Amino acid sequence: MSDRNARNDAAPRVRDRTDVAAALRRRILRYAAGQAIHLGSSLSVVDILHTLGCRAGLGPATAGNRTRDRLVLSKGHAVWALYAVLAELGLLTADPPPRLPGHPPEGLPGIDVSTGALGHGLSIGAGLCESARLAGSDRRTYVVLGDGELNEGSVWEAAMYAAHRGLDRLTAVVDLNGMQQEGPTSAVLDLAPLDEKWRAFGWNVRTADGHDPVSLTAALDRAESQAGRPSVVLATTVKGKGIPFMEHSSAWHVGVLDAAQLAEALAAVDSTGGSDVGGGHD
Amino acid sequence: MWAVAMTDTITAERPRAGMRPVVADVLADLGEQFPDLMVLAADGHALAAGFARRFPRRFIDVGIAEANLVGVAAGLARDGHRVVVGTMAPFLVRRAAEQIRLDVCRPGLDVTFLGVGGGLSYGTLGATHHITEDLGAMAAMPGTRVLCPVDRHDAAWAVRAAVRHRGPAYVRLGARDDEIVFQGDEKFSWDAPQILGAAGPALVVALGATVGDAVRAAERAGAAGLPARVLALTVLEPFPTEQILGAARAASTVVTVEEHVAASGLGARTAMALAGRWQGRFTALAVDGRAAPVGDRAELFSFYGIGEDTITRALVGPETDPE
Repeated sequence: MSDRNARNDAAPRVRDRTDVAAALRRRILRYAAGQAIHLGSSLSVVDILHTLGCRAGLGPATAGNRTRDRLVLSKGHAVWALYAVLAELGLLTADPPPRLPGHPPEGLPGIDVSTGALGHGLSIGAGLCESARLAGSDRRTYVVLGDGELNEGSVWEAAMYAAHRGLDRLTAVVDLNGMQQEGPTSAVLDLAPLDEKWRAFGWNVRTADGHDPVSLTAALDRAESQAGRPSVVLATTVKGKGIPFMEHSSAWHVGVLDAAQLAEALAAVDSTGGSDVGGGHD
Repeated sequence: MWAVAMTDTITAERPRAGMRPVVADVLADLGEQFPDLMVLAADGHALAAGFARRFPRRFIDVGIAEANLVGVAAGLARDGHRVVVGTMAPFLVRRAAEQIRLDVCRPGLDVTFLGVGGGLSYGTLGATHHITEDLGAMAAMPGTRVLCPVDRHDAAWAVRAAVRHRGPAYVRLGARDDEIVFQGDEKFSWDAPQILGAAGPALVVALGATVGDAVRAAERAGAAGLPARVLALTVLEPFPTEQILGAARAASTVVTVEEHVAASGLGARTAMALAGRWQGRFTALAVDGRAAPVGDRAELFSFYGIGEDTITRALVGPETDPE
């Protein structure tokens, strides 16, 4: 059974959400100093992951708890956002930080499933839900998908399956940044009408602003209140969100920041009003 | 140390029976033994019929969707279930290779893959339904045990052993009726291949469904003056290097035979095992890259040169062909 108290404990209590968004971005930018990482999609998905991490009750006291909600980052290349969230939630505190791989690894507290090859996470999430249902648990599984990832046919195998099985404790969130490696999703392989596709596959469909925790939480609450079928939240985001020279640009799908770029990016984050208090400097 | 079973004189093929019915019984028993055991299928229920009747909540048919099949199995196994995934070998191993490797084998989850119709077992259904690279592909998956049982008795042992073992495993099963080679009272084990016949100057190392032909070929070679023993392999991974070396020491001729390509299969593995530690005449009989003609399994064995006649010739040489 989900532990609602743990959720409250894990939620940021002092800083407002602008501060949190800024702190998460500072962490991601520092990961990109001197090494090429998937920057654009990490910056688009990070607010979604933070909202879900809090909602799932992720924290040092709960990471090893088998009954807590699960979080699967199916678009594993955005792992830098997940690392930033885990750090914010007190799960990645080593100083200096360990050398981190470019996709979610096995064995790191807070990472429930190793991923990286696209199109795997929703099936694994469905299996986790089957297991919870057999055990009589109301534990929920969140699977975060990229919109480019929806090109993979295996996503739709899993979508058909989860609806057929009535896995109503499965929630997918699509990081709808509209971009994939080589350009707009509409140009590479058009997904429209995406809401109708999910609905036709038998899912509850909600939309949200993927950078607004209030909007995300409301959509998740509404979606999850409907029993009998799985839910998907189509969360509109901006690739490279928060760093003007990266926003909407597929050029920063993978990027490495030199010292000047890092300074410019950090200055952009600082200008959003978020203070650097309480994290982001490790 | 090794179980030694002397065979009766072979004059004809032995009776035949499918592996699926006996495996279905084994799965139902294992369901009793392991309350967390799940069985997953992809629109094929023959393997799981008994299990599904007894434990309907622990049986899931995902439909014809192998990638999702393996992903769902991974989710269940990650949560502590033992999982058996049973479906047609060509579509399981080829289509879901990425899920098998990354979602199950890399994290070392307790999933046993039962590949029905491995090798040329689907016969006249043709190239789409043949898979002669499954054993090598699965042996290349990290930490994964690979079994290729000889007949229904061996298959019952192999499935039990694979499910009891912690960690991923693959068992290749026949699709049709396979020749029954063993009596049923043999003691099968992970590290002791069955030895058929007395030691002689020749050794046939045969894998899975080729063992029946290998035994008949060995008897023909013996009748032609070249006594040959057969090492009947079920376990390809972990590879029985020392057992093969031990059996080869008494022989000056070693022939491997497999319903599989040699490059990633028994031929290459045996050559690696023997390299630098054994001297003699070595022949690897295996499936090659030619397109299969329309034929049943026995005809395809003959076409690819992994049947009785070719094994006999490999043992005694063309100049002393007993025919």
